[in-house]
Amino acid sequence: MEAKKQETLEITEMPSEPSRQRSESAAAAPPVKPITPTRERRRKPLSSQAPTAPVPPPRLADYASIIGNAELDELRFLAGDLRGKTVKMVNSTSVGGGVAEMLNRLVPLLSELGVPTHWEVITGGNDFFEITKAFHNALHGGDYHLTPEVEQIFLTYNEQNRERMQFGEDMIVIHDPQPAALIRARESTHGKWIWRCHIDLSNPNREIWGFLRPMVEQFDAAIFSSPSFARQLSIPQFLFFPCIDPLSEKNKDLDDSIVQKVCSDFGIDRSRPIVTQVSRFDRLKDPVGVIRAYQMAKQYVDCQLVLAGGGASDDPEGAAVLQEVTAAAGDDPDIIVLDLPPWCALEINALQRASTIVVQKSLREGFGLTVTEALWKGKPTIASAVGGIPNQIIHKLTGVLVHSVEGCAYQIRFLLTHSEFAQQLGKNGQEHVKENFLMTTNVKRWLLLFRILNKNQPA
Amino acid sequence: MDSVQSDKLRPRAAHKPFHFNTSAHLLRIGRERATNLSELLQALRTCSEHSVFQHTFRTLQEHHFIREGFSNDFAHWAFSACNEPGLAERLAGVDVRKFTSVQAVREQILQIVEEYIRSNPRSRERFVDEPFYFCAADVVVLPTPFVAHSLSEFVDGLAHVSVHSIHHHFIEARLRLKLTSNDFSRWLEEETDLREAARRINRIDIYTATMEGVRRQMIHIVKNAINQEPDGS
Repeated sequence: MEAKKQETLEITEMPSEPSRQRSESAAAAPPVKPITPTRERRRKPLSSQAPTAPVPPPRLADYASIIGNAELDELRFLAGDLRGKTVKMVNSTSVGGGVAEMLNRLVPLLSELGVPTHWEVITGGNDFFEITKAFHNALHGGDYHLTPEVEQIFLTYNEQNRERMQFGEDMIVIHDPQPAALIRARESTHGKWIWRCHIDLSNPNREIWGFLRPMVEQFDAAIFSSPSFARQLSIPQFLFFPCIDPLSEKNKDLDDSIVQKVCSDFGIDRSRPIVTQVSRFDRLKDPVGVIRAYQMAKQYVDCQLVLAGGGASDDPEGAAVLQEVTAAAGDDPDIIVLDLPPWCALEINALQRASTIVVQKSLREGFGLTVTEALWKGKPTIASAVGGIPNQIIHKLTGVLVHSVEGCAYQIRFLLTHSEFAQQLGKNGQEHVKENFLMTTNVKRWLLLFRILNKNQPA
Repeated sequence: MDSVQSDKLRPRAAHKPFHFNTSAHLLRIGRERATNLSELLQALRTCSEHSVFQHTFRTLQEHHFIREGFSNDFAHWAFSACNEPGLAERLAGVDVRKFTSVQAVREQILQIVEEYIRSNPRSRERFVDEPFYFCAADVVVLPTPFVAHSLSEFVDGLAHVSVHSIHHHFIEARLRLKLTSNDFSRWLEEETDLREAARRINRIDIYTATMEGVRRQMIHIVKNAINQEPDGS
């Protein structure tokens, strides 16, 4: 167990030029946040008290046992036609968030395949990042009034980055809206420009989208995470589902002794059914709704409820939600609420693996990678039909979609009493992830896109 | 998959080797979308053949692990988003193996939806929760390291290629060959004279088996044929 404790932190590899005025403090080690067990009998696992040193990212061959050699051969063949081509990825942060996590794995794998890939992070002051955060919220449908001053700040920082960076690569991939104005460098470059949009643009603030759209339409192609997240554009649009890394701390296979240790530490009884939701303490994840569903189901079936997440200690709203959750849980010893620090990927992995059923009863969701994680672990999953979740859960085939607390409660009862059906859902769900939502599938999509754009290169 | 080499699998030379290929696909998000059956009809008439291919032939590959309950995206949408189980059943009955062109598949689906709307006029404009988003697949054909010069090598290739390769030769081949057959059956028939095995392989039901199940059935059929027809080379 001691050796495993050293692996607790999610692996991160810094991009080659992480220069960023704001990133000094962001890159520093986060403060140690102890786990908050809700019962006296729950110990604090030593492994989750502080982050440990990162380990090197996996090599391509490490995935052979998961996807098979035939799939790896396909990747190598696809990369063969691109040998000598170079790629640059540009985003706005080197640590934290799903994009940086994905690039940490994607960049070394593409390079190993003979497609040298360089990752750069844009710099900006607090004023820039406050604006881009507001853009982010507005693109999800929030209110925002765009002023000429705001436009100027956005464009000025992009211009500074354009002057600092070189764009000699054959493929330049710009992630999300923050660096979108780098497209102004396009005229002096020979490469193909791709905009990878990781956010849901189904209902954007018109002013912000009206400002960004002319930039986006100068790219050669755009990529969205779901057809429902896309806009009508004059450029080709491709579908890249978000992905998980099956070899990461959060998703790798675990020895049962680790799962047992984590459950023992948190006071979870593995001899009884366990229903789990993993998500930060946020009202949009409806943790109180999950407790109500559990309480309804518990009138018919015995089970425990685990609500594992974070965000309560560094976010005032998260703390308020945690209070609401604690109040809703009352004195039920079978409701286990865990406020975990962000480096507890291994513990989350173990909790998901220990679960009989995983729930994601969000009121609103992006793609919902916690659903992907649960499906990958072969868990029967009940989730709301919101955001990208219906891409992952085909109702009654790869999981169960619900629309209400009552529906969630019924499905908990049904799956806990129909284990054969539940197991089949879990099995199908795992195959669905293997086919569509793994990092290696993502690598294949990038290689295919580069080939397609490369073929369109004028002679 | 286990290695399938055995004493009974005597190598048989074929005149032409079988080259196992595979295909990889990238999805484009199309311009068409439908929020009711009327819009579905309109989009079906104008969308590209790549789009019809994606939502019928290709989606079968994406969901190769499901043994029952999934046929094509149109049927799934009619059931889950439109709540029209009668239409869903009819659409699910569209068997891609009967078609040698995407245009013919399109016409069949159009006919089913048109007839359903005629019989159920209120369904035409009924708004649905989740729109149907038309996508299209860009296809890249890739070689694999497996080449069969004999039946034993053929069985070995079947056992080791990806399910994408099985789908490529067994399902998508119809569009290339313009025959209601597949690459495996054609090769067995023309190069090894295992006509009955070729026929049996072509009859494997892809709608009640996973693609791994299809693979296992094929291997079983070929191994049996070799044992029963030892002089077939």
